[in-house]
Amino acid sequence: MENAIEVKNVTKVFKLFYDKPSTLKERLVFWNKKKAEERIVLDDISLHISKGETVALIGTNGSGKSTLLKMMTKIIYPTKGKITTNGKLISLLELGAGFHPDFTGRENIYFNASIFGLNHEEITKRLEDIIAFSELEEYIDNPVRTYSSGQYMRLAFSIAINVDADILLIDEILAVGDQHFQEKCFTKLEELRDSDKTIVIVSHSLESIKKVCKRAIWIQNGKICMDDKVEKVVNQYLKECK
Amino acid sequence: MIKKLYEYREFLKTNVKKDIRGKYKGSFLGVLWSFINPLLMALVYAIVFPFILRDTQEHYVTFIIIGIIPWNFFTTVISQGTFCIIANASIIKKVYFPREILPISVATSGLVNFLISLPIIFMFLLFSGIGFSKYIIFLPIVIITQYILQLAIILITCAINVYIRDAEYIINFIITMLFYATPVLYSPTMFPESIRWILRLNPMTTVIEGYRSILYSQTMPDFSAIFLALGIAVIIFLIGVKIFKHLEKRFAEEI
Repeated sequence: MENAIEVKNVTKVFKLFYDKPSTLKERLVFWNKKKAEERIVLDDISLHISKGETVALIGTNGSGKSTLLKMMTKIIYPTKGKITTNGKLISLLELGAGFHPDFTGRENIYFNASIFGLNHEEITKRLEDIIAFSELEEYIDNPVRTYSSGQYMRLAFSIAINVDADILLIDEILAVGDQHFQEKCFTKLEELRDSDKTIVIVSHSLESIKKVCKRAIWIQNGKICMDDKVEKVVNQYLKECK
Repeated sequence: MIKKLYEYREFLKTNVKKDIRGKYKGSFLGVLWSFINPLLMALVYAIVFPFILRDTQEHYVTFIIIGIIPWNFFTTVISQGTFCIIANASIIKKVYFPREILPISVATSGLVNFLISLPIIFMFLLFSGIGFSKYIIFLPIVIITQYILQLAIILITCAINVYIRDAEYIINFIITMLFYATPVLYSPTMFPESIRWILRLNPMTTVIEGYRSILYSQTMPDFSAIFLALGIAVIIFLIGVKIFKHLEKRFAEEI
């Protein structure tokens, strides 16, 4: 089976500054004060995710799950090691990136989808699907600043889910919109899972993870604690966390 | 890198559009400001400078306009460009895309703005009676030189500005200084030959002089100087790409 994501001996160290020097004066004045404390967020992690798998990353706050996801997206880069991804990747880290409040929903679909690397025709082709999925037909030509926060997220989620990426990275966003829309998102996710998409989810909502994913990886203190079938990992995780 | 940029061309396009349309959204006169600003500036200089400089050029307003509009293009791109990574912190932290799109779109929307304001220069040429010459076909070469030069500079400054926030202030200061070291309000011929070479060190001198000879004095532009400036611009650009590529990896963490 071909790998969609390959993580090879990845270490990520964050430098923590108590007073981060950001101006020249501070850099010159404090150049010899070693105020930076190094924090190892991920410690020599290796894992493979094959094409078509649906994997959950779980762990307590600050265990490095989101950092791992951000590195897969290439927003940040590992200090050591290498991450390779195969296929078009989209991350739903935070939705609505690049929305411009003064432009209409329709225009923002173009802005937002273009950040994901779609061209004009590809967006136009998906436009109807996106609007239909968001159920915002009435409001689509209003400026986005007039949207409620729920409507805003619905539009953003609809764009991201319709990009047709091969790999989806999702960080704690399964709570979008009202009950009805959440269920719809889940159905869509299950549909994507059953096609040949690769999905990686970071979430604390263990029940929904059990529904959607087959495999789970438990990260604790920057190391992989357990990597197995989702029920096994979740049960063990719940036991240890008590 | 070029393949990636091509893939994301739509983002570049929408970003440029957003820059141009978003800039004047909510202001009463809108895009008209791109015309009014340099006009007012030129007007002020045209009133004041004849008093300071005893003998000014013929058609002094036109002379200044031809200098000011490209200079405006330069300052807008450099000051906006230096800020472009920090200004887009929210998307840099959330989404992957080729980061160099941000400086490229600042440089390009500046170019579009400049092209929109070119008709002002043409109008002045027409009404002052200077008219047009066949040398106008060389205009694109000068514009391209200026575009590449500016893009090259902001690739470096925007990346550095993420790490050292002073860059912004230092650059603003340099721009102000450079204004006087660039023949925007005067002609280099006012200086004795022996020190004129100092002006020539500044590639913007070559650019402004290029516009001047094509549009104002209507002579063959000094191609050896222009190609030298273009060569320098390309070299800075290549260095800029290297620096940018090196520094971009930690943008999301440093912002």
